[in-house]
Amino acid sequence: MIISVKNLVKRYGDLLALDHLSLEVNEGEIYGLLGPNGSGKTTAINCILSLLDYHKGEIEVFGKPMSPNAYDIKKNIGVIMQNVAVFEELTSYENIDYFCGLYVNDKALRRQMVEEAIEFVGLNEFRKFYPKKLSGGLLRRLNIACGIAHKPKLIILDEPTVAVDPQSRNKILEGIVELNRQGATIVYTSHYMEEVERICSKITILDKGKVIATGTKDQLKSMITLGETITVETYDITKDQIELIRNLPHMSQVEYKDNLLIIKSDKGKNNLEIILDFIKKQNINFGKIYTELPTLNDVFLEITGKELRD
Amino acid sequence: MFIHIFTYRLKCLLRDKEMIFWTLLFPLLLGTFFKMALGGIHDNSFETINIAVVQSDSYNVSSDFKNVLERVSTGDKPMFNVTETDILGARKLIEERKVIAYLTVDDEIKVFVQQSGLGQTIVKIFVENYQQSAAAVETILMKDPQNMDTIGGLLSTRHNYLSEVPISNSEPNGILIAFYSLIAMTCVFGATMGLKEVMDIQADQSERAARSSLVPVNKLKRYLYSMAASLVIHFGEVVLLIAYLHFALGVDFGERTPYIFLTALIGSATGLSFGSFISSVVKKSEGIKTAIMVSTTMIGSFLAGMMFHQIKYIVSENVPFLAMINPVNIITDAFYSLYYYDTLRRYWLNMGLATIFIIIFSVGTYLVLRRQKYASI
Repeated sequence: MIISVKNLVKRYGDLLALDHLSLEVNEGEIYGLLGPNGSGKTTAINCILSLLDYHKGEIEVFGKPMSPNAYDIKKNIGVIMQNVAVFEELTSYENIDYFCGLYVNDKALRRQMVEEAIEFVGLNEFRKFYPKKLSGGLLRRLNIACGIAHKPKLIILDEPTVAVDPQSRNKILEGIVELNRQGATIVYTSHYMEEVERICSKITILDKGKVIATGTKDQLKSMITLGETITVETYDITKDQIELIRNLPHMSQVEYKDNLLIIKSDKGKNNLEIILDFIKKQNINFGKIYTELPTLNDVFLEITGKELRD
Repeated sequence: MFIHIFTYRLKCLLRDKEMIFWTLLFPLLLGTFFKMALGGIHDNSFETINIAVVQSDSYNVSSDFKNVLERVSTGDKPMFNVTETDILGARKLIEERKVIAYLTVDDEIKVFVQQSGLGQTIVKIFVENYQQSAAAVETILMKDPQNMDTIGGLLSTRHNYLSEVPISNSEPNGILIAFYSLIAMTCVFGATMGLKEVMDIQADQSERAARSSLVPVNKLKRYLYSMAASLVIHFGEVVLLIAYLHFALGVDFGERTPYIFLTALIGSATGLSFGSFISSVVKKSEGIKTAIMVSTTMIGSFLAGMMFHQIKYIVSENVPFLAMINPVNIITDAFYSLYYYDTLRRYWLNMGLATIFIIIFSVGTYLVLRRQKYASI
């Protein structure tokens, strides 16, 4: 076990930020902490890293109790904070070298590690650039390089793609998967469900400081009743016909808005076929028709009654 | 690890243009400005004072006074340039500021001025001295006319019954206070560096500090290594300023060079520890901390005599405690002690006070820094 958190409680005054939070991160996982803003993701990370005081609970990292002076644990952790944390007065190379040097004493080894980190995040052309000369995406990559250059066994990334362009976001996500492939265990926090769904092998969904679900993405999706969402583009459907669809088997929710008929169906076979039959019999003209499997947002919505992106 | 952190901190500090401006270039500019503004004040040249004397019968018969006036109004550096005129002419001259005073001679000599000043005071003292001497001669002649021959010698030979024991080989010079307090202000401005060091150490104060808190190096070690770099840079800046003031602007620091370096070092450490302390105890934004630090330093500099050197003596006489708790004043006083006093007693007192400040600020900073976890970030 890489991280073990049991019954973690953290309060900010009257606000209960973490409510008996428990989680386990195993070696080799890309562990996603998913939740809306303010759900307690960053607080949980800061408690795990011993930056924040907490009121109750136990935290172990690499099988040992975590504390501010646990240097043998810290030397194997790399952290990429939500905001860019580099020195404006140092070049990209110097920033990476500085942070790497706090972990690695051997100069030759450090030089090699810094070069590899620069190569990994694609900052080769920008090694002599000062941070203020870098674009937002490049700055994020520099931030990541500073956190991973010393080749940690555990890498914690706290919302590393906030305010990043799609190209850099892709690069970052691919990089995370590659780091995991090279042997690092990853803890990844985000409120972007698509990212978590794309890269994480295990996901914990947080809301109001509580764990509301944990598992692989398939396990999470199997927890809910929603089977699929069928969307039909149509211009001439009547209210009576919509009502008839509602009464079809497995159809749990039907909405018609902006010429799109959105039908949510429970788990079951042939839902799309049933809808197509109905449309044919009723002579309803339609444009596109497509079906989507449940997303993590659907999981969050069904459990909490609100959208994840809220 | 020391070399690694120390070297990178040196790089960061040397490349921080804003900080270098405030801790080095600004004092250099201010020193140059002081020299331009105050440089001529201690010029010993004396300007002849223009006065008028109202002609009257009494004046015309007062040959003694006329003789004395004539003697002080001739030569290489005459004291007075005298215009003899009637009363209306004298009033016109003073209104037009062509003379600073006019005299009338009747039973006694009167001085008329429009405003007070150094020249007016000299005229007044001259007239008072003359009248006292004339009265003394008159009294002696009335009581002992045989001694008339000795009167001339008595009047020309003024005895001073107080003997002056010099406490210094140097001339007292209030203007130097401005330059010394400028150096002291620069020392305390080092607080900006101390402030930044703590901002980069305390995880609840910046993202960078939070990242640094996660590395496997003891926090106090990181702080001390960084502060060592700050001390080297800041001490260098203060020495550069002193060198500029001395060699380029001709400011006199006396002969005790090693002590001057020691004062610069202790002064720099005082400033750095002050900044660290403010940064540690004030849980506000960097802007607010900087504002507190700058305003405290500027008030301290004013009270130490940077803008008006008499204020230093006023504070020392009336509120001595305030003078003792003002680091800028303590460092200013240390430099002045080195310049003016032959003994080092007062200098060591100032150095002792500065060291106490460093200890208080450092202990205060340590008590805050030793905290490892935070309630919020």
